[in-house]
This record gives sequence, structure tokens and C-alpha cells, in this order.
Amino acid sequence: MKNTMKRIIALMAAMLMVATCFASCGGETNYAANNTEYVIGFSGPLTGPAAMYGEAVKNSAQMAVDEINAAGGLNGVNFKLVAMDDTHDATKVAALYSELLEGGMQVSLGTVTTGPALEFKNLSAEDNVFFLTPSASGDDVPANENGYQMCFADGNQGKVAAEFVNANFKGQTIGAFYKSDEAYSKGIFDQFKENLDSSVTVVETNFTEANTKDFSTQIDTLKDCKFIFMPTYYDPASLFMTQAKDIIAADAVYYGCDGFDGIDNIEGFDITTIPQKVTMLSHFNSKATEGVAADFIAKYTDKFGKATLNQFGASAYDCVYTIYEAMKEAIDEGKEIPVTISASDLCEILKEQFEGGFSVENRVTGDKITWEKTGYVNKGAIQYVIKDFNN
Amino acid sequence: MELILSTLINGLSLGGIYAMIALGYTMVYGIAKMLNFAHGDIIMVGGYVIYVFMATKNPLLAVVMAVIFCVLLGIVIEKVAYKPLRGASPLAVLITAIGVSYLLQSLAQIIFGSANKMVTVYDFGSISFLGVTVQVSALVTLACTIVVMLALTLFVKCTRVGRAMIAVSEDKGAAQLMGINVNGIITITFAIGSALAALAGLFYLLKAPTISSTLGAMPGIKAFTAAVIGGIGSIPGAMLGGILLGMVECISYKITAIAPYTDAIEFSILIIILLVRPTGFLGKKRREKV
Repeated sequence: MKNTMKRIIALMAAMLMVATCFASCGGETNYAANNTEYVIGFSGPLTGPAAMYGEAVKNSAQMAVDEINAAGGLNGVNFKLVAMDDTHDATKVAALYSELLEGGMQVSLGTVTTGPALEFKNLSAEDNVFFLTPSASGDDVPANENGYQMCFADGNQGKVAAEFVNANFKGQTIGAFYKSDEAYSKGIFDQFKENLDSSVTVVETNFTEANTKDFSTQIDTLKDCKFIFMPTYYDPASLFMTQAKDIIAADAVYYGCDGFDGIDNIEGFDITTIPQKVTMLSHFNSKATEGVAADFIAKYTDKFGKATLNQFGASAYDCVYTIYEAMKEAIDEGKEIPVTISASDLCEILKEQFEGGFSVENRVTGDKITWEKTGYVNKGAIQYVIKDFNN
Repeated sequence: MELILSTLINGLSLGGIYAMIALGYTMVYGIAKMLNFAHGDIIMVGGYVIYVFMATKNPLLAVVMAVIFCVLLGIVIEKVAYKPLRGASPLAVLITAIGVSYLLQSLAQIIFGSANKMVTVYDFGSISFLGVTVQVSALVTLACTIVVMLALTLFVKCTRVGRAMIAVSEDKGAAQLMGINVNGIITITFAIGSALAALAGLFYLLKAPTISSTLGAMPGIKAFTAAVIGGIGSIPGAMLGGILLGMVECISYKITAIAPYTDAIEFSILIIILLVRPTGFLGKKRREKV
């Protein structure tokens, strides 16, 4: 009797297991089956210390969605943006991702920041959901086939910077200052050097973790340079500039990468006391006075004010338009994208577009934007002026 | 020529800071026979006190407060953490010192957060001569180190307390029998060492106006290296070791090819010195009686 009972329970348990297995992995559930609009989802820090980035992405993406919808959507079908708050915490991403997907998300902007993006890229790869992130710049973010970036990848900035220097400093001597025992700084510098034109001479100097305070020797080495490439975070850069302000020529230019973001906002560091010009590699000029960038700035500040106007938003704005154009192009080529298309089916279509040399032109963050097979973006960098010469 | 001169000045001023910290290490070691690993963190505390009092916009007040605070802190640490361990094994004292070091760092992080803070104590500007431009603060640092070093040597050689210090460092037991208050002398030594650390904090901020809870960690280790190279326990040795290390660091950073290995080079020198001349350049050779 007891044994029979055990057998029945075991059998039931086994059946239950098989059933749940079918439920979860048997076939693909199309959560978008009841959609009446194309749904774009993303997660980003909408609260917490990094909220200004998430806010910017949410505002700008919504602006792009509203504009597309106002112009008739995609063949009459509107878009809808769904934003989730991950507070820049990677552990929250899994739950938010499920909520997005089960809520009918068909295509995504990924996440706003890199930490959460590293979770997101794996989850979305499992379900085959296409994402184009505006700002998660980690090298591994687009590692899977379904992921693309609109911002420059951290590890690709060296190449982008070298292209900029090649174009502007042919046959000249420039300086470089980097941290030799930090992956970010050394990585960018190595790639920079590798891609540099042989006619450009680099006077290089570096520092290590154990010497992040006193840069007098390094400054002395670079004192005759008029253009100094600085792939470091803003902390050592601001220190360098403070110590060098009277020693480096007043008409010299500093050129940093994304590590310079926020250098004009450090407590106790008044960037206006630095006579030199401080610039950084970027894809968005928030002080643009003409062209698409200026239009975007005008529209954005009109709606949301200046506080959250930054490259994250500009990039997100471009992302939405890029997804829209990629879908439009696919439809023009004869593919069908019904409003209830599953995320996975849409992903296949978009992947084909992006891998097939799809490009967008005249956008806020680039004149001509294409993508490499790795998911890295290809577009020209601009020299964004953080602070001009004092005289 | 310009190259040599600018490297010399930069090396000397960095070496001056190392020397200033090394003096604290070496005096405490010479007299209390212990390695005060929390010494580097007193620099950090000094820096933060300056940061706090710079709110008054009075650099002089900030520096004076930093010295007073660090002296008091040094005395408290000695009384609370080290004195009960007098006579305990050197290992126990060493571990306590490391504990104090972490305690100070963590406290600073709790109070001030982990982000670097910028603080401009005083902008001396820069001057040009013989074709080189250097920060005046580098020269001020160098001058101050020399003055402090001379004052300290005179203090030790010519005052009662100073001579008592020498006596304690020579033979604690005998000094006590001669009527010297050994505990008092050790306290005074900690006070002086901490005051020097506060000054080192000031010079650090003059050079590089930023402060974080780990500000003192690396300079502390470098200065300790300097003290050992110069001969731990010897005041001129600390000065020599500090200057030597500062020069090596600057020269190494100047040569791009070896610049990434600067720290390795500095610490290799320590290893070589320990192998070839274990007592350091100016350390006394003391025969252990069995």
C-alpha cells in the first residue's frame, strides 16, 4: 500500500516536472500576440545617483517615439516605449527583463549603463531579443549576435581617437598621458598607438596606481606639447591639469575619452582656473548651434530643460530612429513585420539588416552611422569642447 | 641640462615628502622598536583635517589644526592600541598597527565617503629659472623638509628630551634605571612623528590637491621603504632614503620605457639593499648577544 502510494506520488511529480518543462521551454511564447503597437523596452537608472542618465534616455527616446507616431508611425502602426528602473543595479535586471518581455516588448534599447547591460545581453540572447543600447559602452555588451551599440565601445575609443588625430595632426608631434596599470587607460592608449598614422610622433608618459598624486615628472615630459591625448578618468586628469596649469603652454589642448565625462563638475576643482582648452572624444556636441544636433537640443530643452541634456539622451533619440528606419527598410525590401511579431522574429529581421550594411545618415550623434559585425558602431568622433581657452 | 634640473627639483621635492614620512617611521622604530604601519594613515587624517578647516579659507589655521589633531591622535593611538602591548611579541604589535591603519581608513571612508575630494590649500603658482618652470610648492616642500630635518637633529642632540630619546633607543631598561620616563618618551616620539605626518599631508596636498581615504597608504609604504633603505632608526638615514627614493621614482617616470615598472624598481632597490646591506645605508650594525 505504502509503496503504491509512493509510486503514484513519484509519477505525479515526474509528470509535473515534464509539464513545467514544456511550459517554460517548449516552443516560443509570443508575448506580443496581443500588441496593438510596436513595443520598445529598456531599463535604466531612473532613480538613484545615476538617474540623470536614465532620465535622459527615457525622455529622448519618448520624444523620438512621439515624433514617429505623430508622423504616422510605421505604416500606420504606432510605437510605444516602456521604461523600467534598474537603479544601475545589475541584480535587478533579470526581473525587469522578464517584465518587459512578458509585457510584449519586441525590440529593446538594452540598458543605459554597462553593469546591468552585461546581465541584459545574456538574457536577451537566450530569447533572441534585438537591442541597440544608446550608452552601455562596455566592450562585451554587444558580444552576442543580438546586441548593438550606438555609443563608442570603451575598447574602441583608442581607434576612434587615432582616426581623429590622424585627420588633424598629420606630421606633427602630440603628447599622451595614460595610466599604465589600468585596463581602461592602457587599453585605449595601446589601441590608439596601433591605429596612429606613422607620420604622427607621440611623446608619451604614464603613471601607475602607486603614483596618482604627483605628476611633476610627467608634466615636465609633456611641457612642449600642444595637443595632449589623455585616456584617463577625470580624477587624475584634473590633478594633472591643476599641477600643469602654469607649466604646459596656455594654448595647449587636452583631449580625453569618455573618462572625462563630468570633469567640469568635480567638487573643489574649478575647471575655469585651467588656462588650457579641455576637450573630449564624443559623438554628441551638447553646445551645437546648427544641424540635427541643434534641433534635438532645442526640442529637448524646450520639453525637459537643460539639466538632463547629455549624450545619453542624444544617443537614445538616434537609437529609436535607427530601429524605426531598420524596420522600415526591411518592410520596403518585402519583409513582413506585423504589429504582433514576436521579439525573436523581429530580432532575425533586424540582425539581417544590421549585418547587411544598414546605415543611418545625418543623425544627432553622427553624420553616417554603420555597424561592425561585432556590434560596435562606426561613426566619426567629434572633439567636444568642455572648456575653451581662457584667453 | 634643463631636463636634469627639472628632474632634480621634482625628485628632491617628492623625496622630501617621503623623507618627512620616513622620519616618523624611523623615530618610532628607533625608540619604541615597533613598525607603526598606521603612520601613513596619519597623513590622510592630516589631509582631511586640512580639508575640513579650509572651509574657513585660512590655510594657516587649517595646517595648525591638522598638526594639533594629528599629535593628539598619535598620542591616543599609542596609549590605547600600543601601550597595552608593550612587552608583547613584535608580531602582535605589528598586527595591531595594521588594524589601526584599516580602522583609520574605514573611519575616513565612513565620514567623508569614498570619492576623492579636491582641496586647494594655497596656490603658490610657479616660477621659471634657467629655462625650467617648476611649481613653487615643490621648492617650499624641499625647504621645509630641510628645516624640519635640521630642527629634529638639533632637538635630539641638544635637548634633555632628545638625549633621553637616544638613551631609550639605545637601551630601554638602562634608561629607565637612569630615571628616564620611558613611556613619556615614547609618547613624545609618537607626537613628533604624527606632527611630521600632518606636515607631510600638507605637502602632499600642495603638490596634488586631492584627498581620499587611502591617501596615506602608498606614500606610507614608500616612506617605510625609504626608512629601511636609509637604515631604520637613523634620522639622517630616513632623509637620505627618502630623497633617494624620490629621485629614483622621478627618473624612472622620466624614462618612458621603464616608467610602468617604477614601483617594481623602487621595491627592488629595497630588496637589493636588504640583501647586500641589511642595516641600510646609515643603520647601525648591532651584534645580537646570545
